[in-house]
Amino acid sequence: MERDFLTIALPKGKLLIDSIQLLSRVGIECSHVNEDSRKLFYDLPDSKAKIIICRPTDIPTYVEYGAADLGLVGKDTLLEENKDVAELLDLKFGYCRFVVAMPEESVPPKLPNGDYDLSGLNHQRVATKFPRVTETFFSGLGMQVTPIKLHGNMELAPCVDLAEMIVDIVSTGKTLKENHLLEVAPILEATTRLIANRVAYRMKYGRIRDLIERMREELVGDVSAK
Amino acid sequence: MLRTNLGLRIPMGMRDLLPEEVAVQERLETQILTLFRQWSYQKVLTPTLEFSACVQPDVEQDDSLYKFFDRNGHILAMRPELTIPIARLVSTRMRGAEFPLRLCYGADVYRNTTVRHREFRQVGVELVGSDQELADAEVIALAVEAIAGLGLKNYQFNLGHMGIFSGLMLEAGVDEGIQTNLEEALARKDMVGVESLVRQSGLPGRVQELLLHLPHLHGGEEILDEVLGWSEQPAIREAVESLRRIYRYLNDFGIQANVSLDLGILRGFSYYTGAVFEGYVPGMGFPVVEGGRYDALYADFGIPQPATGFAIHLGNLLEQFPLPAVEGADILVYGSDAGQIIRQCQVLRAQGKRVEMALGITENEVAQLVARQKNINEILCVE
Repeated sequence: MERDFLTIALPKGKLLIDSIQLLSRVGIECSHVNEDSRKLFYDLPDSKAKIIICRPTDIPTYVEYGAADLGLVGKDTLLEENKDVAELLDLKFGYCRFVVAMPEESVPPKLPNGDYDLSGLNHQRVATKFPRVTETFFSGLGMQVTPIKLHGNMELAPCVDLAEMIVDIVSTGKTLKENHLLEVAPILEATTRLIANRVAYRMKYGRIRDLIERMREELVGDVSAK
Repeated sequence: MLRTNLGLRIPMGMRDLLPEEVAVQERLETQILTLFRQWSYQKVLTPTLEFSACVQPDVEQDDSLYKFFDRNGHILAMRPELTIPIARLVSTRMRGAEFPLRLCYGADVYRNTTVRHREFRQVGVELVGSDQELADAEVIALAVEAIAGLGLKNYQFNLGHMGIFSGLMLEAGVDEGIQTNLEEALARKDMVGVESLVRQSGLPGRVQELLLHLPHLHGGEEILDEVLGWSEQPAIREAVESLRRIYRYLNDFGIQANVSLDLGILRGFSYYTGAVFEGYVPGMGFPVVEGGRYDALYADFGIPQPATGFAIHLGNLLEQFPLPAVEGADILVYGSDAGQIIRQCQVLRAQGKRVEMALGITENEVAQLVARQKNINEILCVE
């Protein structure tokens, strides 16, 4: 194993373009990488790196087992997968929020402080891609719900009485509105994170630290530019 | 009853070892235990089942124990590691022994987690009853020698000290709630969480920078001077000087080149109290050696004793070694008179030979064929 060669896992989908841009700006030139071609990995000998392209939910697994040294992945996926990886840097892009949402006509009453009173929702069903996040959130409120794991189009579930509410990530809130769903509680906010295998982080420390510092500089630059 | 379905399977995370695999595991284990013996460690064994009250660190926390009930309704647990069972053993049946005590083990441990192997072999040592840095250096040197002796290339050890970060939190007067959260985030290696906790802590800016910088210090002795440049606090100074002495002993052991100082090795705050270390092998995504000083544990068992030790996850290392060809017996004895065959086998075994007794083979050609298939060098016909 070369101490300065890195295998980096990038997520297919909406985070890919920002991820490629960030890596290219910190010395790992990979602007030719794209998910439309069938290629699943790219050797970058000049940058002493290899890029692999995976499904976002698989990235923590690749990194946990050391198949990839580093990965870029949303905090939402990271929380749900709960793998043993080192979370090194908040990359700020790919912002989204986890929320609880319900059909407009069945929202619970409000508390004096303006929040919705969720206590009446105990033991109800929640359609979600994120059963772990859902259970953690509700058990923190001293409640129990039954998560129903779905793989997409959560909004459909309350319409057909598969579940009373949904837990999903939203970025603009447009999809909720179109389906007559109302946010009743925020759970947490998520952005993209740089993660590392715990052994790679120790054995390739110099190269990884250097990369983190350059990413930090780029991110500070981004914020001040805005 | 014909076994079908469940009867043909084994539970998730369990595995069978075939002859070649057992041969590798036994060879590695024998080699390491022989080394431990040379360093004067004596082997002990503890039971597979313990009371959960003994091995469960905190009833409030999730654990990964396989649990059962005994006939009195007490909760039993399969041992998830050996350090705590050995502390129980020492504090009960060996409390009158001459300390420091050097004990070692090679045993299977059981963890009901989602990882690939939920039953796997661990070998390790415990050095109980010495708080000297030389004791820390001894176990680290022994761990390095054990891994080096297996012929693994490019292994690396990282060495840190819990007292430096704890000392810094003490000096800064970090309040208890934040401290617990910080320790948890560090143990999870969630550096983003650490950063946000520190930024929201309301601590002075300089302290914030130190808390964030400390887990990234990595290198040789120069990083210790850097820490001393920040703080004169006695707890920090003591931890730094202790780590320096250990690191210099490692030079005397001739293994300093294999060990990096790494103040980011911070785990098990409630358990480890001093120097902590991990060993890595390229191609393995998890540390293969974990160890350190745990001076508080024995007090929980009623005999306060400083202690240090390590465990090697031998079961996970097996895949790093090529499987040997199955070794056959030395000689196959065949013929038509069972009584004579039995006597001949006994004679040869008494000479130290590995002897296979043919069952129903009388023909030379058949014996030759069988010997070839089973990798047996020699055949002998008795009349």
